[in-house]
Amino acid sequence: MISRRQFLARSGGLCVALSLPLSSARGLAADLPGGGTLTAYLELQPDGRVRLLSPTSEMGQGTHTGHAVIIADELDVELAVIEVENPEPADAFRRNGSMSSGGSWGMRGWHEPLRKAAAQAREMLMAAAATEWGVERATLDTEPGYVVHAASGRRLAYGELAAAAASLMPPADPPLRDLALARYRGRPAPRVDIPAKVRGEPVFASDVERPGMVYACARLSPVFGAEVAGMDPAGALAVPGVLKVVAIAGGAAVIAEHSYAAIRGADALDIRFAATDHDRLDSATISAQLRAGLEDDSNAIEARREGEIPATLAAADRILEAVYEVPYLAHAPMEPWTCTVEFDAEGDLHLWAPSQAQDRFLKAAAETAGLPENRVHVHTTRLGGGFGRRLGAEGIPGAVMAAREVGRPVKFFWRREDEFGQGWYRPAQVARLRAGLDAEGRITALAIRTAGPSLVSSFFSGGLKAGQLDGTSVQSLRDSRYRAPALMIDWVHVPQPVPMAAWRAVGATQNGFFLECFLDEVARAAGRDPLSVRRELLAHDARALKVLDTAADQAGWGTPLPEGRARGLAYVESYGSLCAQVAEVSRKNDRVIVHKITCALDCGSVIMPDAVRAQVQGGIVQGLSTALHEQIVITGGAASNTNFDSYPILRMPDAPLEIDIILIESGEAMGGVGEPPVPPTAPAIVNALAALSGVPIRQLPLS
Amino acid sequence: MAKIDLRVNGETHTLEADPGMPLLWALRDLLHLRGTKYGCGIAACGACTVHLNGAAVRACMLPLSAAVGAEVTTIEGLGGNHPVQQAWIAEQVPQCGYCQSGQIMQATALLAANPSPSREQIRTGMAGVLCRCGTYLRIEAAIQRAADALRPQDDPA
Repeated sequence: MISRRQFLARSGGLCVALSLPLSSARGLAADLPGGGTLTAYLELQPDGRVRLLSPTSEMGQGTHTGHAVIIADELDVELAVIEVENPEPADAFRRNGSMSSGGSWGMRGWHEPLRKAAAQAREMLMAAAATEWGVERATLDTEPGYVVHAASGRRLAYGELAAAAASLMPPADPPLRDLALARYRGRPAPRVDIPAKVRGEPVFASDVERPGMVYACARLSPVFGAEVAGMDPAGALAVPGVLKVVAIAGGAAVIAEHSYAAIRGADALDIRFAATDHDRLDSATISAQLRAGLEDDSNAIEARREGEIPATLAAADRILEAVYEVPYLAHAPMEPWTCTVEFDAEGDLHLWAPSQAQDRFLKAAAETAGLPENRVHVHTTRLGGGFGRRLGAEGIPGAVMAAREVGRPVKFFWRREDEFGQGWYRPAQVARLRAGLDAEGRITALAIRTAGPSLVSSFFSGGLKAGQLDGTSVQSLRDSRYRAPALMIDWVHVPQPVPMAAWRAVGATQNGFFLECFLDEVARAAGRDPLSVRRELLAHDARALKVLDTAADQAGWGTPLPEGRARGLAYVESYGSLCAQVAEVSRKNDRVIVHKITCALDCGSVIMPDAVRAQVQGGIVQGLSTALHEQIVITGGAASNTNFDSYPILRMPDAPLEIDIILIESGEAMGGVGEPPVPPTAPAIVNALAALSGVPIRQLPLS
Repeated sequence: MAKIDLRVNGETHTLEADPGMPLLWALRDLLHLRGTKYGCGIAACGACTVHLNGAAVRACMLPLSAAVGAEVTTIEGLGGNHPVQQAWIAEQVPQCGYCQSGQIMQATALLAANPSPSREQIRTGMAGVLCRCGTYLRIEAAIQRAADALRPQDDPA
C-alpha cells in the first residue's frame, strides 16, 4: 500500500496543508486533486511545523536550506519550523521527466515552483480563516505562522487552520508576496543540515542500518567493461564471517557478517575476467588518437560558425596556433559507492542510496529485480559528495542481485579502488585553437576544434547518432559570449572504451582551460594586456564586461606585485552564470602558492549568499586541485591510479591563502551556482604561472 | 577470533572479533558508531580519524589489537557541543559532511597539542584529512575560532 503522500505526489496532486491523520476520510478527500497544479511539497502539522519535500538531494550544496528559505518567506513562517525531507520519485519532483540533482538546477529550477506552492498554501490558510471568521479574504494578512485580522485583532495559528485549508482548492494563480517583506532570502541563513554534520549524525548510505542486514563487498573487473570468465569462491568462503559469494554484473559480491570479513573475502576470491579488445589501451595511445582526431577534417561536426574563417585567416597579419590537452578526471567523492537494498514482506524493493538521479536509480533497480517501477522505493540518503558521480546507477544492479540472492537486507559497497577504477570520468579531450590577428594585435578570426570521446554516448542510453554533435564537447565555446569577426567551433568524435559521466561543470572545465589559456597566449604574442583582449571580444555585452571588470578591479589588475608573483585572469560562463577569476600566484621550488583568488560571479540573483560563497570557495579548491594534481592514468585497459596516494587531490596546505568573492546581482534570470565557479580557476592559475615564466602551459595537470 | 576489551568514549565493550580487524570496522559494524567514516582504507584521506589516548589516528589501518588498553574517542564522544563543533557551526564549515568527523577529530587533537596554532601549523596539521567539497578555508577559520574560545581568557589585571 502506498502512503497518501506518495499517492498525491505520483498523481501530481495537491498536498498543501494537511493536519489530519492519514486515515481521515476528510483529509484524504480534500486532497484529491481537481487541478493539475503541483503543490505536493508541503505538509503542515497541527503544531505548526512544516514538512517540506525537497525535490533535490542534499550533497552539501545547501539546496535543502535554500528551499526552506523560499518556503519560509512566501508561506510566512519561521525558518526553524520547516523540516526538509527527500521524497520518493514522483511527477511533482521531476524536471523534464526526471527527478535528479544536476546541472546546477537546484535553486534556479525550483525557485518558482516552490514559491508558487507556498503562495497557494498561504492563500488557502487565509481563505480558511476568512470562512471561520466570516470576513473577506482581502481584510486578512499573515504574520509568521499566523493569519491575522487587523480590524478585530483576531489571529489563528496555521496549525489550527491546516485541516480546513486542506479541504480547499489551491488557487491556480496565487499572488506572490512582495520580496521586500522577505525575512530570509538574501541574508545568511544557517544551513539546516550542518548541526548534525558536526556531530557525526547524518545518515549517509553507508550508515543505513536494517534489521538482519549483511554486508557485501564488490570485487569488480579492473579493465573497463570486462566480463567475468570464471571464479572459485572457496578462498572467499574460507574467510571467517563470509556467508556467500554472488555473481553480479561485472564481478562478484562477497557477502559477510561485517564489512571487514566482506573485504577480506573479496581479496581472497579467485576470479578471472574475460579478455577485451582494449586490454592494452593506455593513456599515451588515447592521447595520440585524440591528437590525430584534430586533423580529421572530414569527420568534424560544426557547432558554431560566424563570418568567413578561411578568408579572414588568409587576410590576417599573423596566425597563432596551439594544441591543448586534458586527461580523464575522477570525481573522487569522499564517500565510496554504497547503497542498501531490502525486499520487504510484500516483495517490494527498498533502496537507500546517495542518489543524484532517483529515476535512473529506480529504473536500474526495477530492471535488475524484474519488478514494476511502482514496487521499487528509492530512499535518498545524504550524499558524501556528488559532483556528478551520483548521477550514474552503475552501482545498483550488483546491490539488487546480492540482496535477492541472500534474502536479507544487504549493504553493498565498493572499495575506494573501485570508486576510482570503475570509470565514469570526465572525458579526456584535446583542442586545437587558431587565432588570426590584425596589425594592431586584435583577434579577427578564432577557430577552435575539440576532439575526444563523447560523454553523451557513454552516459545516455540513447547514445549519440552518427554525425551528431555532443554539446558537452563544445560547452562554453559554442555558447560563449565572445565574438570575433570570424568564429568557428567544431568537434571530432574519437570514441574510447572508457566510461564517462558528467563531472562538476562538465565540458566547461576543459573548454574554459583551452580557450582562456590560449587567449593569454595571444595577448603575450601581441604584447597586449589579457584583460583588454577579453574586453574587446566582449565589447558588445555589458553584463559580461561588468563581471570581468569587477574581478579585475577588485584584484588590483595591473597594479604592482611583489617580486616573483603574477596574476592570471579567466572568464567562463556556464549553467546560466557568468564567472571571472583572477589568480595571484608564485612558485617556491616545485610548489605553486596561490596567494589569492578573486572571483566575481553573476548568477542573476542570490537567495543564500553564504551558501553561494561556500560553493564558490569549494569550486575554486576543486578547480585548483585539477590544475595541480589530477589525472586518471590508463594502463592495460584500466585505471592504474585508484586511491588517494596515486590520485592526489588538493590538501589543505595547498589551498588558496585567500578567496575574495564578489556576488553580482544583475537581476537577470537566475543562474546555477554549484558548477560555474569551477571552470575559471585552472586557467586563471595557469595564466598566472605562464605570466611568471613566459612559457605557455598547454596540458594539465601541472605536477 | 578473540575476546577483546575495547574502551570507546569512556565505556568498555567486549567484542568477539579478529584482533587484526581495523578499528574502523569494529566501531562502525560491531559497535554501530557510524560517525567515523571509511574513505580510502590506506590512511591517505583521514575520514576515519579518531583519538587513541588523545592523539589523532587513522582507524582504517589500526588493528583492534593496537587499541586494546587504550582510550578511543570518536566523534560521538566529543559530546556535541565541544567548542570545535560550535566553531564548525559558526563558520558553516561542512558541505557534504562526509569528511567532517575526521576533520573535527584531527582539529581537536591539534588544538589539544597546540592551543595557539599559527596559520601554517593549522594547514600542516590538517594536511592528512581530505575534503573534496573544498571547505579548507572555513576549516582553518573554525580552528582559529575554536582556539580563541578554548584559550584561557587573558587575566584582566
